[in-house]
Amino acid sequence: MASTRDIGRLYDDHAAAVFAFLANLLRHEADTRDVLQELFVKLARRPALLDGVREERAFLLRLSHNLAIDLIRRSGSRDHRHEQLSAEPMPLFAPSANPDEQIFREKLAEALGELPPDQRAVVHLKLWEKLTFEAIAQTLEIPLNTAASRYRYGLDKLRDRLRPIYDEFK
Amino acid sequence: MNPDFEKQLQRQPIRQIPREWRAPILDAASRSEPPSLVAVVREWLWPHPRAWAGLAAAWVVIFLLQFTAPEPPRVARSSTPVTIQTMATLREQSLRMAQLLGQWDNPAAPAAAPAPPKPRSERPRQQIAA
Repeated sequence: MASTRDIGRLYDDHAAAVFAFLANLLRHEADTRDVLQELFVKLARRPALLDGVREERAFLLRLSHNLAIDLIRRSGSRDHRHEQLSAEPMPLFAPSANPDEQIFREKLAEALGELPPDQRAVVHLKLWEKLTFEAIAQTLEIPLNTAASRYRYGLDKLRDRLRPIYDEFK
Repeated sequence: MNPDFEKQLQRQPIRQIPREWRAPILDAASRSEPPSLVAVVREWLWPHPRAWAGLAAAWVVIFLLQFTAPEPPRVARSSTPVTIQTMATLREQSLRMAQLLGQWDNPAAPAAAPAPPKPRSERPRQQIAA
């Protein structure tokens, strides 16, 4: 079993990034917390999972992505609950004191929520984790070209959706 | 692609993980133990609990029937002692059967060839005298 200190160190180093990824993917606070906890419980139970892992962050993102996809598949019947909750979406970005910036963040969160989860995952890893397409492909276990095309499609949709507000904000 | 647009998106900071999550998540992780045998069996049986329960019930019924059923009659064990006459009759019958089977198996077997003439010294004296 991994020691509490090891798990604590993993949490301190990577939980913020995993949280951001899960929050963007799941758009639901309780589900995000559940998956995050499931991830660290899994690591505590099976510390051998980390043997030979070079990039801890990428590995944790991959595990969390798989857990999130499992949750999304399992909770297909709960879609109606998420639809109800979408009226008050989980805040994705930090609040801003600047009203224009705050509006842009809210619109960006909405636009991201409209992307399919597979495009959203790639866009998140590219923009906020600054991973290369190769690293994204490895993390999400998809071909390199698929990662690149998903990013392109996702970014085009965001640009179209945010164009009016972006032009003003710019 | 529009690098300005991408940079603009990247500048938006995603909110921080709630601090109050740390303790309960790490506590849950530290309390988790390697899966016990019971947990493994439970996980294995969980997908179809009714099917496994039905199978277990069937085995219980089979065992109960096995232990509660009356003992079958022992045919091979006889209570009457075998007499010497019966044994002799049986032996005679088995001999006859063996003879019959021998004939049946080899019906066209040629009759035994006549024995070659014995040496003079062993011939009956009548023949020599004649």
